[in-house]
Parts: sequence; C-alpha cells; structure tokens
Amino acid sequence: MMTYIVFILSTIFVVSFVSFSSKPSPIYGGLGLIVAGGVGCGIVLNFGGSFLGLMVFLIYLGGMLVVFGYTTAMATEPYPEAWTSNKAVLGAFITGVLAELLTACYILKEDEVEVVFKFNGAGDWVIYDTGDSGFFSEEAMGIAALYSYGTWLVVVTGWSLLIGVLVIMEVTRGN
Amino acid sequence: MKPPILTIIMLTVISGTMIVMTTSHWLMVWIGFEMNLLAIIPILMKKYNPRAMEAATKYFLTQATASMLLMMGIIINLLHSGQWTVSKDLNPMASIMMTTALAVKLGLAPFHFWVPEVTQGISLSSGLILLTWQKIAPLSILYQISPTINPNLLLAMAIMSVMIGGWGGLNQTQLRKIMAYSSIAHMGWMTAIMMYSPTMMILNLTIYIIMTLTTFMLLMYNSTTTTLSLSQTWNKTPLITSLILLLMMSLGGLPPLSGFIPKWMIIQELTKNEMIMMPTLLAMTALLNLYFYMRLTYTTALTMFPSNNCMKMKWRFKCTKKMIFLPPLIVMSTMLLPLTPMLSVLD
Repeated sequence: MMTYIVFILSTIFVVSFVSFSSKPSPIYGGLGLIVAGGVGCGIVLNFGGSFLGLMVFLIYLGGMLVVFGYTTAMATEPYPEAWTSNKAVLGAFITGVLAELLTACYILKEDEVEVVFKFNGAGDWVIYDTGDSGFFSEEAMGIAALYSYGTWLVVVTGWSLLIGVLVIMEVTRGN
Repeated sequence: MKPPILTIIMLTVISGTMIVMTTSHWLMVWIGFEMNLLAIIPILMKKYNPRAMEAATKYFLTQATASMLLMMGIIINLLHSGQWTVSKDLNPMASIMMTTALAVKLGLAPFHFWVPEVTQGISLSSGLILLTWQKIAPLSILYQISPTINPNLLLAMAIMSVMIGGWGGLNQTQLRKIMAYSSIAHMGWMTAIMMYSPTMMILNLTIYIIMTLTTFMLLMYNSTTTTLSLSQTWNKTPLITSLILLLMMSLGGLPPLSGFIPKWMIIQELTKNEMIMMPTLLAMTALLNLYFYMRLTYTTALTMFPSNNCMKMKWRFKCTKKMIFLPPLIVMSTMLLPLTPMLSVLD
C-alpha cells in the first residue's frame, strides 16, 4: 500500500473536492476543505517537500480555514444542508464519486492509458528517485530561488495580496 | 470611492494587463489576469445597488472559471514541453483549452451570455473600462499563440459571435446592452482574422477601442442609458446629435468613416487566403449590427421622437461635464480612412 500512497491520497483528494463542490452548507464544505488540505499536505510530503506540506497545515488549515470556520459559524442558518438532507446535493456527490471510481478503476485495470497524457497504470504514481538533484533538497532550492531569481514574483504576489485586502474592504463597505 | 483607493485600484487594473502583455512566463500571464479581475470588481460595484452586485458577481464567476481553464492549459503545456516560456509551439490540447478560456474572457459566442447582463448592471464609466481595456489582455495572448490555434474552433466562434452580436442587439433599447452586443460582434471580426493576419486584429482592436471610447463618452456627457433619453439630445446638446449620427455609422462599418477600415482590411485578408463564403457571411451579418445603429440615429438625429411637452425646456440646463478628450477621439473615430495606406509601414 505504501508504494501506491500517492495514488490513494490523490483519490481521497478528488473525493473531498467533490464533497464540497456538491454545495452543502458552508460548514460542511469547510469539513471537505480540511480533509482536502490534510491529504494535499500528504501528497506534497511524499514528493519530499516537507516544509511546504507543513506550511499547508499551518497557514492554510490553521489560519485561513479557522477564520473561514468562525465567519461561517457567525453567518450560519438554523438547519444547514448536509449531504444527506438534500437530494440535489446527494445526487451531485454520488455522481462525482462514481466518476472518480470509474476513472480510478479504468486507470488501474489497463496497462497504458492516455487521458491527456500517457501514463502506465498505477505505476506512474509511485515516486521514484529520478532526477539528479544531488545532496540538495529541491524544495529548499525552490524556496531559495523565490527570493533570488523570483524577486519580481514576490513583488507581484505581495502587491496582489495588498490589493485583495483593499478590494474586500471596498466591496463590503457598501453605503 | 476615495481617491487614493481608486488610484491604487486603477493602477492594479492597468498593471495586471501590462503584466499579461509583456511577460514571457505563463504563470505571470495567469497572475496578471487574476490581478486584473480582482481589482476591477470594486470598479464594477461603484454604485451599491443589487443590480451592480449581481453584475460584478457574474463577471467574477465567469472570469475566474476562464482563468482556471487557462491554468489547466498552461499546465498541460508545461507537461508536454517541460518549460514555462510563452512561445508559439503549443501542444494542441493546451492550445484548445487556452483558446476556449480566452474566448470566455472576451465574451465570444457561445460564451457571450455574461456580456449584456454585466454591461447593463454597471455604470457607464465602468462599462467603458469593461468593454475596452479588458479586451486588450486576452487578445494579446491570442496574438502570441495565434500560429497554433485550432482554425475550426476559432472560426466557428468568430462566425457565431458576429451572428449573435447582430441578432441579439436587434431587440434592445438599453444603450449599454446595445454596446455589449456590438462588442460581441466586433470580437467576432477580430478573431476571424487572427488565423491569417494578427496585425489586422490589432488594427481592428485599436479602431474598435477608439470608437467605443467615443460612444461611451458621448453617452456619459448626457448620462443617457436608454434610446428614449438619447432621443432627447437634440434638445440638450444638439452637437452630440450629429456626432452620434457619424459615430453610429462608423461603428456599423460604413465608408468613408474609420469603422470601414478594419472591415475592409479583414475582408481583403480573408479573400487573399481564398476564403469566400466566410467574409460574405461576416459582411452580411454585420448588416444586422448596422440596423440597430441606424435605429439609434433615426430616433436621435433624424426624427423628433415622441415626448411630452416639458421636454422641450431641457436646453435651459447647461451640461457641466468636462470631456477634454472628446474632440480628438471623435476626429479619430470618423476621419481616419484616408490614412489607411499608412498600414504599409508594417511590412
């Protein structure tokens, strides 16, 4: 099972995305996001990016999702819609899970499948040690590159975050 | 909106488009589009009524979906070519996804449904920015990937856009919706020529932006948003009445006005590439556009539209809006035809 852990985590990732895309009440959508965040962290960890995976837990789950949970709790309705209380949500959820199951079985059965790109069964999700990165962790090198070659990217992302705050202030001011 | 905030937000809208136009890294293209989208939302919501909120929400949802499709195309390109450079060798699958995504951003048929609804719900100045500046960024990316675009997809969308822009605008009396359908039709003309001569697309875009800018400024001068109130301009500012006449004829593509330049050049380029049915179809459906422009001139400049008796006192109220760029824009949108031979500098 451990060799195919990335495949399993990816499947759980897609199912949790389906769980909040089928539009239950935001509280339950937040639950799907938590599962997706945790599993996504696992996928990143399997590729050797330990720092970034733990960043997902800390900042995304521990920061943004907590704020999201609190605001949803403030704005919630008396009878929130879960996946089983509304036939439309249940139908969308079942459709999504069924599609994912069929895709997963198709991938596992055949030897070589081509959906958008060719891959050879479940074997392509196993992490091999390809690429000669030597003694350096690629992830740490990537983060270092962000602050050396990627200065413009940091400037643009920082500016976009500032604009995000200003836009939200402007939109919710309303008078 | 307070002036410092408005300045910063407009700066971000402009720099978002500049980033898309000048970058060589696909990720920065996506970032530029998202910056642009995020910053233009408060501009669309300048008036705090539910209609403007609804329009801004619709715009945000459609453009965000298009950005996601674009990202998917970028990642597929990365997978197949192994690099992030914006170049003209795209994987066909990535090219199709990017073309579809950019078509949603532009409002090409069959993804045109958001254009009239969003344009109608926002103020005239926001509609101006939406229909002119927001078209530049997607068209610049289409320009860069134009050698690898699937011709069937693009030409089908182009012909559908011109048809839907023509037929959709026929039943409208609200001026913002008319301008929205006009935008859809012009985008159709621009994408039709993209396969054969992207330079003509730039020419069409330039002249379209000048004409739409002028139209919106004339409408903003009197704050008119319906045909009925436009038909009263003979009373308020008679000069604008004759200018609307010239401008509508130019938008419809009649010689000897500037609006004829792009249509002439496009039909010429298409026939040089041995496509006969398509320019015929485009020219014939452009007549539908001309019909509703003519209806506007008919009610505004050529007849005295029915109104009640106190309307004839409107000239007593002087309009105080300063539109200093209006005269040069009007000259540019009606009198550029003799300068067409200057296109030879592009060779």
